[in-house]
Amino acid sequence: MNREEPPPFFGTWNRLYAAVILYLAVLIAGFHAFTKAWR
Amino acid sequence: MILSVVGIVAYGLWRSRGSDTTDAYLRAGRTMPWYAMALSIMATQASAITFISTTGQGYVDGMRFVQFYFGLPLAMVILSVTAVPVFHKANVYTAYEYLEKRFDSRTRTLVSIIFLIQRGLAVGLALSAPAIVLTVILGWPDDWTTVLMGVIVVAYTALGGVKAVTWTDFQQMLIMMAGLAASLVMAVYLLPDNIGFGAALTVAGAAGKLNPVTTNFSWGDRYNLWSGLFGGMFLALAYFGCDQSQVQRYLTGSSVAQSRLSLLFNAVAKIPMQFLILLTGAIVFAFFTFVQPPLLFQREDMAKLTRMPEYPALREKFDAAFQSRQSAARRLAAGGGAKEEFQKAQADLDETRKQAAALTKSNDTNYVFLHFVTNYLPEGIVGLIIAAILAAAMSTISGEINSLATVTVIDIYKRLINTEAADARYLLVSRLATAFWGVYAVVTARFAKNMGSLVEAVNLLGSLFYGGILGVFALAMYFPRVGAAGAFWGVLAGEAVIFTLHFTGATSFLWYNVAGCLVVIATGVVISRLAVR
Repeated sequence: MNREEPPPFFGTWNRLYAAVILYLAVLIAGFHAFTKAWR
Repeated sequence: MILSVVGIVAYGLWRSRGSDTTDAYLRAGRTMPWYAMALSIMATQASAITFISTTGQGYVDGMRFVQFYFGLPLAMVILSVTAVPVFHKANVYTAYEYLEKRFDSRTRTLVSIIFLIQRGLAVGLALSAPAIVLTVILGWPDDWTTVLMGVIVVAYTALGGVKAVTWTDFQQMLIMMAGLAASLVMAVYLLPDNIGFGAALTVAGAAGKLNPVTTNFSWGDRYNLWSGLFGGMFLALAYFGCDQSQVQRYLTGSSVAQSRLSLLFNAVAKIPMQFLILLTGAIVFAFFTFVQPPLLFQREDMAKLTRMPEYPALREKFDAAFQSRQSAARRLAAGGGAKEEFQKAQADLDETRKQAAALTKSNDTNYVFLHFVTNYLPEGIVGLIIAAILAAAMSTISGEINSLATVTVIDIYKRLINTEAADARYLLVSRLATAFWGVYAVVTARFAKNMGSLVEAVNLLGSLFYGGILGVFALAMYFPRVGAAGAFWGVLAGEAVIFTLHFTGATSFLWYNVAGCLVVIATGVVISRLAVR
């Protein structure tokens, strides 16, 4: 096991995790706008 | 369709070369790259149920089911930080082995048995879905199609082990993606000439089907933003962190980084995929506002209904409501209002279908998409979609049977029955256990047909057990002072609370995981503190 192995994107694991959470927030905001648009 | 099934089985058997030790058979020798594990995780989760039941869910209940997956990316991040390095460091075959390293063999055995019961029942549900497909298309009896699918999957899973399962999952996921794209494109393409994609969305939206985010909170509401984020996160933590059918996929990774990437890929890809599947269901709904659907989508139930004395009156009411809805939908699509008239006609249609379902004691959610595919799509596309559904089914069933066999051999047989056998003996027992669980799945699948929406049934079943399992893993990883007695009794207390919630109907099932997990932790902490005193 190599705990220091970095991810292929974003440089560090913490940055990659933050990107995933940000992506989720954007997705939910987009779906919310979709819901309001077609209500 | 036949070519894809035969090709995948042949590929699985070819991949079985070299799986002649238990490490290679059950853990692929820890050699798998992240992209193979990522698609295998996704394919194991995306069963035939995903295709036929989730689209039906989109048709009947709209898109709000997608919120169920909102907690998944959060869970994947948490698991990447915690569980993945812990499991890799412990060098285990199953997640439950880790519980013995942390607590004792009693806790490990208890949780292993809970997994075997829960996953054993779920695999029957997963197997019933492709049987529904083959029954609708070929007209074969459910029992025969269940047995046929069971034999095919068990054959390549028993011979090939986890390596074959992972690589066939990889191929099957690619077929699924092609089938999914074809379904959505064809659903839009088949809309009447003057009805475009935007008009279809207007109609589906007026019927309340385009609701991927609902912010109202209620404990009894299954799918809203809050139950999805919190309840869904707990369910995903349990499923991907404590369920061997998923853990086994990323235990095959060649490093912590490779396993993490496989989970994070799912964090990114899963929600858009579910959104598109539900949108397909919503577009199919729009299609059937202009083309008259049957009163019930299940042919046998419809035939039964036509022989009942209540049928003529129901038929008349249904036809009138459809005409009214169609007329309102055309005006709505043309931008001419009529939303209230449309919604009233929709309510009448829903009420008529409800009465028909009550008379026949049936639930046809799982048949909506199949009816659309088999009656309206061109043959080549039907073949692709059916191949995708069968690929989804095989990938899920093979992964589940493989994990059930692994727990049976590693946590029960090797731990409790025969601790000192040669490796070849364990390999043989692994293959036999795979065959046993295949037969078990066939038997339980027979009871799944009338359980309503299969995708809900699977998730409800998981929620009855996941809270307890998640709680004990949380104790193991985050509460170093909690001992074996606290963990063991904590699991039992958590399960008792979950079953009480279920049978009293106090909350929606998504909250079972939260409640069960918290009760396990609280009980474990209290018992451990009392033991110290």
